Amino acid sequence: MTQEPNLLGALSDVLVARFAAARDSLAAIKLSERAHLGAIVWQHDVLVTSEQSLPRRDALDAVLADGTPVSGKLAGRDPSTNVAVIRLDRAVQAPKLSASLPRLGALVVAAGSDGAGHPSARLGTVNAVGPEWHSMRGGRIEARIQLDIRLAASEEGGPAFDAAGGWLGMTTFGPRGQVLVIPAATVERITPALLASGRIPRGWLGVALRPVAVPDELREAAGEATGLMVMSLSAEGPAARAGVVPGDIILSVDGTSARRLRSILAHLGSDSVGKSASLRVIRGGAVIAVEAMITERPEA
Amino acid sequence: MTEPAAGSPALSLRVAIVARGADRIATLAKVLQSLGHQVVDSEGQPDAVLADRQRPADARYPTVVLGGTDAEAEGLLPESAGAAEIDAALRAVASGLIVRFPEARASGFSAVQEADSRTLLTPREAQVLDAIADGLTNKAIARRLGISLHTVKFHVESLFRKLGAGTRAEAVARAGERRREETIDL
Repeated sequence: MTQEPNLLGALSDVLVARFAAARDSLAAIKLSERAHLGAIVWQHDVLVTSEQSLPRRDALDAVLADGTPVSGKLAGRDPSTNVAVIRLDRAVQAPKLSASLPRLGALVVAAGSDGAGHPSARLGTVNAVGPEWHSMRGGRIEARIQLDIRLAASEEGGPAFDAAGGWLGMTTFGPRGQVLVIPAATVERITPALLASGRIPRGWLGVALRPVAVPDELREAAGEATGLMVMSLSAEGPAARAGVVPGDIILSVDGTSARRLRSILAHLGSDSVGKSASLRVIRGGAVIAVEAMITERPEA
Repeated sequence: MTEPAAGSPALSLRVAIVARGADRIATLAKVLQSLGHQVVDSEGQPDAVLADRQRPADARYPTVVLGGTDAEAEGLLPESAGAAEIDAALRAVASGLIVRFPEARASGFSAVQEADSRTLLTPREAQVLDAIADGLTNKAIARRLGISLHTVKFHVESLFRKLGAGTRAEAVARAGERRREETIDL
């Protein structure tokens, strides 16, 4: 009798080997006695993790996948791309990550940590891929990579690999618990800059805005059907200094329609700091012009 | 004495506030008072605590945290939570329940949305909706905004249509979702 090849067994063995390799790039950051957050061992003394879930502390404790405790300090965080970096107090072993591009439908292994900081494993597929996109915080993300797996809160921030062991990026939560990957290319672009200066400068107006429909009677004067209504202002922010008040509806920034949010976010990149911005604003039923001086976004 | 919001049970809670800055504390106190709750200090044996960003270090009472990611808090709401959500969460944690928001994870790292102008609310519709969220009747909304009852009904109908809502509660919930998705800091 000929023996059938054990394909499932072979697949399982390959996955076990992939996870064993992935573990070396995995760390867990301690949030409390019962909660950890996944992280990537980026280089011998640097961890990378998910900015949105990292508490605002300077001193951070972490544990490597083999259980070794390490401590470090926050070296920088960039909410716009969701990347935070931690500088460790001492060197640890750091395998080289070789970046890989995602393919739709490809198998993905994601490594994370459980609540106690021990390694955990997830298997899934690349559920969607897309071109570069802009986050609500204004950051450019090199590609859209969505996974079909579920992650526990403690598993966010770990590395995701393809079947060949290529590194896709860092897992994170998108809206409604959706699992996204911050692409390797984005992490590779942002991490050195964060290590060098602790932040990614962004232009800032100091306003919280909500899209609104321009009231019918003002549409003609506004030349726009939608605008961004000022919900709140940072007390000493550029918009407040320029006299913008809550309830104002911003129609355009330097001629770019408020409808085109992506373009406006792109306009407020690091090179916008120190420049003047012309805002067209509806206030009290009239369209007026306001000049604001763009400053650097303060750390949240 | 403010009249209790329509539909809210008469039961009043003793709530302590933990927040930084007198302005923020005053704002939260105003919200609690408008809900008919009694603001006490942490020595006053509160039924629940309303805290900004994180729980007090000596968390002895069930706490609702606004914003942040404190996984050990009994209640976790987004920073943008409305009065009705704060009320429901305080009552739940005071009864020993755990409250989580569907998008409690800071609503997740998301792409910027370019909204569809046909379903965006006008500023007036947004004001009407805020008043609905505060539990006001159409008549009370007309009084608050200084417009006719007829105009209020017109706005309510329009915002129900734009939000795809069938009831006032649904409209408030949908609008809350949208506000979290669409509010952008520039």
